[in-house]
Amino acid sequence: MLLKSETYRHQEALAQYCRDGISVNIPGTKAERLPTYRRLVFNVVKDTIESAFPITYEHLKDDHWDEIIYRFFSNHNCQTPQIWKLPYEFMQFYLNTETVRLATHPYLDDLLLFEWLEIELYMMEDISYPNYKLKGDWVKDIIAINPEYRLIKLEYPVHISPPSRLIDQKGVYFLLMFREKESGRIQFNNLSALFAFIIETLSEHPKPMEEIYADIIHLFGVNDIQLLHNKVTDFLNHYLDKGFILGFRKH
Amino acid sequence: MNGKVGIGFRRDFADEFLSGNIIQPAFVELAPENWMNIGGYWKKQLNKLAERYAITCHGLSLSIGSPDELDFNFLKDIKDFLKEYNVKIYSEHLSYSKCNNAHLYDLLPIPFRDDAIKHIVDRIKTVQDFIERRIAIENVSYYTPVAAEMDEATFIRTIVEEADCDLLLDVNNVFVNAHNHTYNAEAFIENMPLNKVAYIHMAGHKKVSDDLIIDTHGEAIIDPVYDLFESTLAQMNPVPVLLERDFNIPQPIELQEEIVQLQKICDKQWTKDHAIKI
Repeated sequence: MLLKSETYRHQEALAQYCRDGISVNIPGTKAERLPTYRRLVFNVVKDTIESAFPITYEHLKDDHWDEIIYRFFSNHNCQTPQIWKLPYEFMQFYLNTETVRLATHPYLDDLLLFEWLEIELYMMEDISYPNYKLKGDWVKDIIAINPEYRLIKLEYPVHISPPSRLIDQKGVYFLLMFREKESGRIQFNNLSALFAFIIETLSEHPKPMEEIYADIIHLFGVNDIQLLHNKVTDFLNHYLDKGFILGFRKH
Repeated sequence: MNGKVGIGFRRDFADEFLSGNIIQPAFVELAPENWMNIGGYWKKQLNKLAERYAITCHGLSLSIGSPDELDFNFLKDIKDFLKEYNVKIYSEHLSYSKCNNAHLYDLLPIPFRDDAIKHIVDRIKTVQDFIERRIAIENVSYYTPVAAEMDEATFIRTIVEEADCDLLLDVNNVFVNAHNHTYNAEAFIENMPLNKVAYIHMAGHKKVSDDLIIDTHGEAIIDPVYDLFESTLAQMNPVPVLLERDFNIPQPIELQEEIVQLQKICDKQWTKDHAIKI
């Protein structure tokens, strides 16, 4: 490297100071000006994370938030050159850092994931849609779905309830988020386990509903086949209207 | 675009840009880091923007002054983006924003030293070879020198000349630095390699104390900066000029008034039968 170790150390010292705010003595600097850099750098990161996680921020801002942000930026080496992706690193830092995690707030894992996935879905690169037709048979044809979606299983209903009420609502919840084709808006949908299973199957192992019905009857122990058929048909029509179900795959 | 005025594209007023009813720039500038590898709504808006305006790019994360290795995956994304949108000018900051394998997302001052010059010159050449185009390096505002062994003008001029890159001359940054470090802004400009200037930035700033101005891009351009801009233009050939406004966004008409004001100065200095000045 053409850079001398002394110059390197000066650059390193300034960068580290901007990350942790711990006083540093760097030759040839105006010491009273260094806090300006700390403030500018830290605020960019803080503002980015707060904008990305508005619900989490509002919930924690009076107690834990500043400490978590401080520990994130001082301990985590931010990897992405694209700052809009930084909230993902923040979420991963929280999930994987035992000393930062709040045992009193067990729903934060789900809440952070929920808020990040909205950004990811909204911003992510376009995914090619499958070839599909609008007319077909709900039972015998393979249903085509919007590929720009996320289906997640949650322990807390972060998509339904405010954080202050989550602690008593631990259970099993399924959330479908998808990006509308034309507007790019994100839709949020609470699903039952049955409908989550259908969507997962249509995505991972596309096959006609008549085959999926057989799986459902086996897995969910359904006895009333006609009722199942009616409910699933209503579900499919509803999500066709919403733009998540596109139609039927072309062979 | 030479002699014409553009503006930085921001999502805050994207609709106004795309309608073109009030803000009417000759071109728009955007930060590629905020627009590459995306899809959905903003990709569609970006494509509409590219149909309507010529695009320049002003990067944020190259960190040309960093002690760290260059990130070639990032550079590949930049190169692809510049090609996809037929970007006319790609510029970056003469600063560092990454150190010890950690991005900082703001511009830190590089020590004005010989070894830093050699390091940066080598990196600029590598970048230009990799992306197969010239880059323009911007003089940044800074609030403290760091272990400097030479003056800022010598540092910048030497890098631009030895790297054979272009210079993005940010006139507001010269004004800010001249105030913060008590030097003469006009003399600084005269010390710049004006024949290498490919692009000019203009912006507003905020005076936070008697001896400190912060380069906020959040205020209107003040008259002394317009004056410095005009005297600079008188010494050089036409290049594109950009109005930066990143915070405290005013009504569109106010931005258009600044564009018009800048264009009048460009026209005054540059559209008379232009003799080569340098």
